[in-house]
Amino acid sequence: MIALNVNGEDRSVDVPEDMPLLWVLRDVIGLTGTKFGCGIAQCGACTVQLDGQPVRSCVLPVASVGTRRVTTVEAIGATAGGKKVQQAWLDLEVIQCGYCQSGQIMSASALLERNPDPSDSDIDAAMSGNICRCGTYTRIRAAIKQAAKA
Amino acid sequence: MKRLGLIILAAAVVIAAAVAVFLFKPASLPDVSVAQAALPTGQALIDRGEYLARAADCVACHTTSGGKPYAGGLAFKLPFGTLYAPNITSDKETGIGDWSDAEFVRALHQGIDRQGHNLYPAFPYAAYARMTTEDALAIKAYLFSLPAVHADAPKNDLIFPFNQRYIMRFWNLLFVPGGALQPTASESAEWNRGAYLVEAMAHCGECHTPRNVFYALDSGKTFAGAELQGWKAYNISSDKRTGIGNWTDEQLFDYLSKGHAEGRGSPTGSMGEAVDYSLRHLTPEDIKAIVAYVKTVPPQVSSDQAIVEAEPATLKASIAYAPSGDAAAQGGLGLKLFQGACASCHGWNGEGLQTPYAALRGSRTVNDPDGTNLIQVILKGAHMTTATGAQAMPAFANAYSNVEIAALGNYVLAHFGGRQSAITPADVAKARTQ
Repeated sequence: MIALNVNGEDRSVDVPEDMPLLWVLRDVIGLTGTKFGCGIAQCGACTVQLDGQPVRSCVLPVASVGTRRVTTVEAIGATAGGKKVQQAWLDLEVIQCGYCQSGQIMSASALLERNPDPSDSDIDAAMSGNICRCGTYTRIRAAIKQAAKA
Repeated sequence: MKRLGLIILAAAVVIAAAVAVFLFKPASLPDVSVAQAALPTGQALIDRGEYLARAADCVACHTTSGGKPYAGGLAFKLPFGTLYAPNITSDKETGIGDWSDAEFVRALHQGIDRQGHNLYPAFPYAAYARMTTEDALAIKAYLFSLPAVHADAPKNDLIFPFNQRYIMRFWNLLFVPGGALQPTASESAEWNRGAYLVEAMAHCGECHTPRNVFYALDSGKTFAGAELQGWKAYNISSDKRTGIGNWTDEQLFDYLSKGHAEGRGSPTGSMGEAVDYSLRHLTPEDIKAIVAYVKTVPPQVSSDQAIVEAEPATLKASIAYAPSGDAAAQGGLGLKLFQGACASCHGWNGEGLQTPYAALRGSRTVNDPDGTNLIQVILKGAHMTTATGAQAMPAFANAYSNVEIAALGNYVLAHFGGRQSAITPADVAKARTQ
C-alpha cells in the first residue's frame, strides 16, 4: 500500500510502486480531470502539482511522490491563485477542445504562484512544454496576464 | 664465414621454434580443487555468485538491449572490427553449459575459452585475473543456476591480423597480471576491499583509463578518462580540477549507489548502466569501500575540458520556471527547443523540476564544451532504476534534426555550465552513427 495525499485527502492505494501517478489518479482514485497525452513528458496534458510544483504525472512513479501533497485540476480552484486562473480562462474563453487545458491550468497557476507578474518570455519558458493542438496559445498568454492582475 | 651463417640460422630456428611453442602450445588448466573445497554449496553459493556477478557487471556486456540476460550478442565496435559478446548462459550448445570449473576460471583469469582458444580483451579478463578463484567459481554457480538460453551470438568480424586469436598470447604476456589482487598491508581493510571491487570486479579502468598503442590500459594514466563508442568516460582520478578530487564522499556514495548526487547530476550512457545493473545492488559498506579506494588513486591531470562550473551566473539568475529575463529575451532555436521539450522536467535553475534525477547543475555532461555525452543523452535518452521507481528521459534522436540538436546542445552548455561551445550538426550526425 502506498500513502498519498491527493487534494487534501489522505489516501492509501494498493498499486505497484512503479505505476505512474497519472494511472493512480485516473484509474484507481477516479480523478479523470488529468489527461493522458503522450506518455513521455512531452505534451503537458498530465500536469499536476506536488507541493505546488508542476510535474508530469505520466512519467512519475507513484512511489516517488513521498509525502508531497498532490493537487489536481479538480481542486486547483480551491486555491486563491488557481481560482483566478480558472476565472480568467472562462472570461477569455481560452478553451477550444479542452483536452490539454487541465494541464495548462496546472502549469499556469504554478507559474503565478512563483512569479506573480510574468513577462511574455517568462510565460513561454514555463508554458512551452504544454502543447495545445487547437493552438490556443495567444489566449493562454492573455489569460495568464489577466489572472496576474486579478 | 660459413660457420657464422650456420650459427645465425640455428639461432633463428631455435627462436622460431620457441615462439611457435609459445603461440601454439595447448593451454593448461588451473587446479581449482582447493577453492572448490573452500566454498559453500547450494543456494548460499548461488547467492554469493549473484552478488559477485553484479559487482563484476557481467550482464551489461553479455546482454543485448531487450535481449535475454547473459545470452550474449552485444556488439563492440573497435578500430579493428566488431566483436560480439558470447552467450554465457548454461546452454550446452550455444552457451557455456559444458564448461568445467577449471575452464571457467581459466577464461576469467587468462582469457582462454574451453577449446583453448584465446579470447579478446574486450572481455575484461585483465581485470578479472585479479579475482580470487573462489569468487570466480561462485559466479559460475550463479550463471549455471539461471535458465539456459539457446542463442548463437553473431560471429566476430575482425580484420587481419587481429582475427588470429593466438596473437593475444603476446598481449597477455605483457598486460595480464598473474594471481588474485593481494591486500596492501599498510592500508585499511575497507580500502583493500574497495581496491578489490574496483580493480578485480567492477573493472572501472576498462572505460576510465586511456589505452596505449597495444590497446591495453595505460598504467601510467590510471583513471585519467577516455573516449569509447562515442561517449566520454570522465577522469575519475583524484585530480581536483579534472577528476573527482573535489567530490565529497557523500556525493560519490550517492552517485554510485543511487544514480544521482546533489550538485553532480546523474550518470547516463554506460555509467548509467553500470549503476543500474551493478553498483546500486552493492551493499552500502562495499560502496563506501569503493569510494575510500577511488579517492586515493593518484591525480591525473587530463586535457579534458569537462570542468564543472558549480554556480554559473546563468543558473543563479534563473528560477525553476524561467531563465533570467535578459536570457529569455535573447531567444534562439536552442532556447525554444529547451523550453518546449526539456524544461518541464529539468527546470531552469539546475535543480530538476520533475525529479532530482533531472537536476543538471554540476553535471560534467553539461559542462563539457565538446558536448560529447550531452549529444548522446539527447539522442538516446537515459534510464535509472531507483528505490522509488524508474526514472527515464526519452530519446530524441527521431524527434529533432541535427541542426536542432546541435543548437539545443550549445544552449544547454551555455545555460547550465556557462560554457561557450560550438557543437555542429555534423557532430550530431557523427554521434548518431556511434
